[in-house]
Amino acid sequence: MTISTISAISAMRQSTLQTLGLGTALEIFRNGRLPASARDLVDEVFGKVGDRGALVISGANGIVGAGKAMQLGSRLEPFGVPILALDFPGASDGMGRHYPGLAKTFGREGAARIMENIIRMSYNGLCLPQQLKGLKPRFLLEAIPEILDAKKAHYKLFRSAFPELEIRSVTSGFPSSELGVGIAHPAFPHEISKIWEMVESNPSSLIPHPSPIPRLFWALGMIPVPVSDNWSFVLDVLFCGATLAALRYHQASNMPYWKIDKYFRKLLGANPFRAHDAIGAKGANFLTWSCLHHLKRQYGALFEPNADLNERKDTGQEYYPLNHFRPLVNWSFGRDEEEDFKIRILGPLFQMTSLILHEKRSHLAHVNAIGELCAQFRRGILAVIRGAGYEAAMKIVKDYHKLHPQAKKCWYPEAFEQIGTPEWQQLYVNAEHNGRAGIITVSRESYNSDVDAELNRAIDWLAGENIERVIITGDFHLSTQMVGADTADFYPALSDVKEGLRISGDWSRTARRLHDDFKVSVGFIGGKRCFGGFLELLMHCHYLVSVEEAGLGMPEVTLPVVPGMEGCHWPFRKTAPEKWPGLLRLLLSGSPVRAKEAVGRLVDYAGPIDKCLQTAWKIVTGADHNVARRKVKEAALKKLPKDLALPDSENNAVEAGRKAIFECIQASCAATSSEALLIQAKHSAGFMASPACRTGRIGAELKKTMEV
Amino acid sequence: MPIQKIMFPRARIPYGTWGSSYFPAWQASPLAEVNIGQFAAEAMNKVLGIRKVPKTELDYLITGSTIPWHWKFWNSPMLASCLGRRVPGCHLEQACATGLKAVTLAAAEVESGSKDVVGVLTFDRTSDSPAGVFPERRAYRRTEALSDVWDNFGFDPATGKAMIACAGNAARKYKLERKEVDELSLHRHEQYYKAQAAGFLKKVLVPFEVLDVQGRVMGVIDSDIGAARPTLRGLRALREIDTCVTGGTQTHPSDGMACLLVATSEKARELSRRPEIDIQFVAETEARTHPSLMPEAPAIAVKELLRRTGLAIKDISVVKSHNPFAINDAVFAKELKYDWHKMNRTGCSLVWGHPQGPTLTRLLIEGLEESADMGGGYVLLMGCAAGDVGIAALLRVG
Repeated sequence: MTISTISAISAMRQSTLQTLGLGTALEIFRNGRLPASARDLVDEVFGKVGDRGALVISGANGIVGAGKAMQLGSRLEPFGVPILALDFPGASDGMGRHYPGLAKTFGREGAARIMENIIRMSYNGLCLPQQLKGLKPRFLLEAIPEILDAKKAHYKLFRSAFPELEIRSVTSGFPSSELGVGIAHPAFPHEISKIWEMVESNPSSLIPHPSPIPRLFWALGMIPVPVSDNWSFVLDVLFCGATLAALRYHQASNMPYWKIDKYFRKLLGANPFRAHDAIGAKGANFLTWSCLHHLKRQYGALFEPNADLNERKDTGQEYYPLNHFRPLVNWSFGRDEEEDFKIRILGPLFQMTSLILHEKRSHLAHVNAIGELCAQFRRGILAVIRGAGYEAAMKIVKDYHKLHPQAKKCWYPEAFEQIGTPEWQQLYVNAEHNGRAGIITVSRESYNSDVDAELNRAIDWLAGENIERVIITGDFHLSTQMVGADTADFYPALSDVKEGLRISGDWSRTARRLHDDFKVSVGFIGGKRCFGGFLELLMHCHYLVSVEEAGLGMPEVTLPVVPGMEGCHWPFRKTAPEKWPGLLRLLLSGSPVRAKEAVGRLVDYAGPIDKCLQTAWKIVTGADHNVARRKVKEAALKKLPKDLALPDSENNAVEAGRKAIFECIQASCAATSSEALLIQAKHSAGFMASPACRTGRIGAELKKTMEV
Repeated sequence: MPIQKIMFPRARIPYGTWGSSYFPAWQASPLAEVNIGQFAAEAMNKVLGIRKVPKTELDYLITGSTIPWHWKFWNSPMLASCLGRRVPGCHLEQACATGLKAVTLAAAEVESGSKDVVGVLTFDRTSDSPAGVFPERRAYRRTEALSDVWDNFGFDPATGKAMIACAGNAARKYKLERKEVDELSLHRHEQYYKAQAAGFLKKVLVPFEVLDVQGRVMGVIDSDIGAARPTLRGLRALREIDTCVTGGTQTHPSDGMACLLVATSEKARELSRRPEIDIQFVAETEARTHPSLMPEAPAIAVKELLRRTGLAIKDISVVKSHNPFAINDAVFAKELKYDWHKMNRTGCSLVWGHPQGPTLTRLLIEGLEESADMGGGYVLLMGCAAGDVGIAALLRVG
C-alpha cells in the first residue's frame, strides 16, 4: 500500500474530515478539541449576538423545505437564529405535519420553542416580503421545485435585495455552475437524515473549502459530504440510476415493482420503488426523471429515462398497488433469471460508479457511504464492486452492454483498475500516525466483515510503521455512533454453525489484536452510543475513554444472539468481582447505561468531549493521565454470580437468549482467557443456528430480506 | 382444399405467447378466495413475462368472464391496470362461448387496423359465486335473489328446465347408449393423463403461487384439482341422473384463467417464440338449436363452418371441443361421421372442469400447441353455450 504524508502525519489514505478543511483525526486528539465550534461558525455565518441574522428557507412547506426547517430549526434555535419559512400563500402546511415528531423528540416545550422560532412568510414569487429585511437574512436555503429558470429568478430576486447573502440550493441534480449558487443537497428523510452533499464555490472535493457552510453543518452535528460540481452529484446518480435499472428490468421482464424491490433488496439492500412511494411518488418521480433527463443529455443512453418513468413523472402514479389490490400472484426467479437480474441491475450501477470515479466526484469513502447512508444499500457501491472483484465487475458491465449496447458510452473501466489502492481498500477504516502514536478511525456505524478486514489491514499497516500506541475511534464525520454488529452478516450463520464460528472467531481475533499487538491501545467513544460488537471490540483496548453521556450497552439479548466478540468473559476479566453483577445485568437485560455510570466496569475514563480527547491523547502518548489500566485476568474466574437476578421476560426469545448468554458467561469465564475465545465462539455460533435466533429479529430480517 | 376466403387476413395469433392457469375444481384451491379478475390480470402479466413479451406491447385488452366479480363495473381498463399496462379495452360475456368470442373480437379489432396487439384475457371463478338481488315488482316475492352459478345451471329461463336436462334430451334424440358414452368419457380422461405424462400440459399451463393479504403464499395452483382418473367399471357403476348423464360423464365447475395475444402479422412475427409458425383465423360461426338440445349445437355450427369454408372434416388435423357432457362428443361424431377417439387428444373440459369464461381459450391454446407439434394444419374448435348455442372456429397453423 502507498502511504500519503500530510503535515507530518502519515495516513493510509486521506481522511474524509480533510475534505471539509477540518484536518485529521490525529490532529483532533493532538489539539485536544474538536476542529470547529458551532458557536463560532454560527457567529461567522449569521453574525454575532446583537447582529444575529436569519436563515431563510424558501419552499418551506415542501417535503425538503419542511424537513430541513425542522432539522435546522432545532439546531439553530439554541443560538437564537430565526428560521424564515417562505412559501406561496396557498401552500399546504408541510411544517405543521412535523410537529408530532418534533414533540416526540424534543418534548412539547422544546418543540414549541423550535416552532416559535420559525417565522412563516408568504410571498408571490415575484417580490420579497417587506418584513424580510428587518430580520437580516444571512443564509438562504432554496428548496423550490427543480425548474432551472425558476431557481435562477429566485436567486436574482434575493441577490438584488441581499447581495451578501449565502445561498445554497437543495437541488438534487443541477450543478452549481448552472445555478450560480452553492449546493447543499440533503438526503431523505429530510427531518432526520444528516447527510448533505455539498458543492462550494471552489468545487474540488479534495481541497479544503474556504466557505464556513460545510463546517457549520458539521459543527451542528450533521454530515456534510463535499462533492464535485457535476450533474446529480453522487447520491442521485446512484439512487436514480438504481431506479432506472429496476425500471428497465421491469420493462424487460414484466415483474411487478413490488417484487423487483424485494429482489433488489436481497441483492443490494435498497428498495427503490418503495422509496419513491414513501418520499411521495409525484415529487420523487419528477426528481428522478429530472436527474436522469439531464444526465442523459450529458452522458447518453445509460441514463435515458424510459417510457414508464416518463409516464409516472406526468401522472404521479405510485409504484405499489393500492391496499385493496395487494398482489395476488407471486413471482420468483430461477438461477438463470437471478443472474440476468444481477446483470441488469449491477451492470448499469457499476458503470455509473465508474463515471463517478472518473470524474472524481467525491472521496471514495464518501461515494461508498452515500449508498449506505442515503440509498439504503446494505454495503456501499464500492464495497460491492470490491467484493465482486475487478474481473467479475468488468464482466457484469460487459454482459450488461450486450443487453443494452447503447449504454456503452461513458464507461470508464480504468476506474476499477485502482481497486487495489488504499482508497479502495480502506473505505471504512483509516489509520494515521505521527511517528509515535497512531489513530484508527472507523467510519461505519455497524461492524461487518468489510470493517473487520479493513481494521486488520490498518493494524498491519501501523505495525509495519512501527507504531505501538494507538487510539481506535469513530471518524468524527461519517460515523456519529457505533451501533454494534451489522446483523446482515449473521444471515449465513443462522443455517450454518461453521459460519457462526468463523464470524465469531475471526472478529474476536481481530479484537484481541487491539490488546495483543500494541503496547498501548485506547478505545475512544465520542458519539452518542456504543453498543454490542463495537463495545466488545473497544473493550479489548487497554483503556476505554468515553464521553460521559454516551450510552453503552449489550443489546444482543433482545435480538436474541449471544455476544460473539468475547463480551461474555472479557469485561469480567478486567473488572473487580464486586462489579460483576452489574456486568451480568448489562448482558442479560440489554439495557444501556451512561458511560459516566460505567467507569471501572466498562470504561476507564468518562468526561466532556474535550477532556476525553485530551485524556486519550495523554494515554496514547505516555503523558501523565491518572487513568489506571485494568489488567485482563488470564486465569479462569471463580465465584461468578449464579443467579440471573432479573425477573423472567414475557418474551420467550429473550428468555432463551438470556439463558444462552448466561451459560456462555459461565462457560467462558470458567476457562482461561486463551481457551475462552473458542468457547464463546461456539456458544455464539450454536445459538445463532438455534430456533430461538432464527425466529427472533435476525431471523425475521433474514426472512424479509433474503427469502424472497 | 384451398380456402376461398380468410375471415381475418391481417390478424394472427403469435405462437407461444399464450398461457393458462390450471383449472382447480371449485372450492378446492386458493382461487376460491381471490378477486379472480385481479388474479387473472396479474397472471396474464406473468404469462407474458415468461413468454418474453413486454406488456408494453399491448395496445388493447379484451376481457371475458361470465360470473360477476368484485369491481366488475370497471372491467377491462381496471384489469389492464392490474396487469400493469394502462390500455383501453372492453369486456365480453357470452356464457361458455366467451373464450372463443373474445378471441374473435380481438382478431376483428386487429383486422380493423385500429390496434396492432390485442390481449385476450378470460377468466372465471365459479367458487363462492355472488348472489344477486333483483327487485321484481311483478314477481310473487317482489324481490328475487339469484346465486349466479348454481341457480343459472339449474334453470334455463327460456325453457324452464335445468341445463342438465338438455344432455338427456340430446342423448335420447341421437339414441346414444350409456356404454358408448362411458367409454368416451374414459377415453377422454386417458387422453388427458397421457398428454400430462408426455409433458404437453406444461407447454400451455403456468403454475401460480397465490398470495394472501400479508404477501405470504396461500397456495400454489399447479394442478387441475378435481380431475380424477376413472375406470370403466367405476363409470358404469355410477347412478344415471338423466339418459347417459352421470357424475362421470359430465364436467365439474372450476376456477381459472387463460390468455393469448392477437396481433398483426408483422407484430406476430416479432413477438412469436417461433416466428416461422403462422397462425391465421379462417372462419368462425355460431348456431342455435331447438330448446334444450344444447349438446348438438356445436355439431350444427361445425357443419355450417365447413359449408362456408368448403372444407371437409377430413381436412382438419386437430379437433378440440368444449364438452361439458360426454354426450356432446358422441353427438358430434354421429353428425359428422367422425371417430371421437381422434378428438381432444390432449384433454378437454369434460376432464379438467369448466370455469366458463376461459374454457374455450384454454382449448384453443391446447389445440394450437398440438397442431404446432404436428407440423401445422387446420384446428377446429367448438363448444356449446347456454341458450342452446353452438360456436365453432377454424384456425390454420402454417
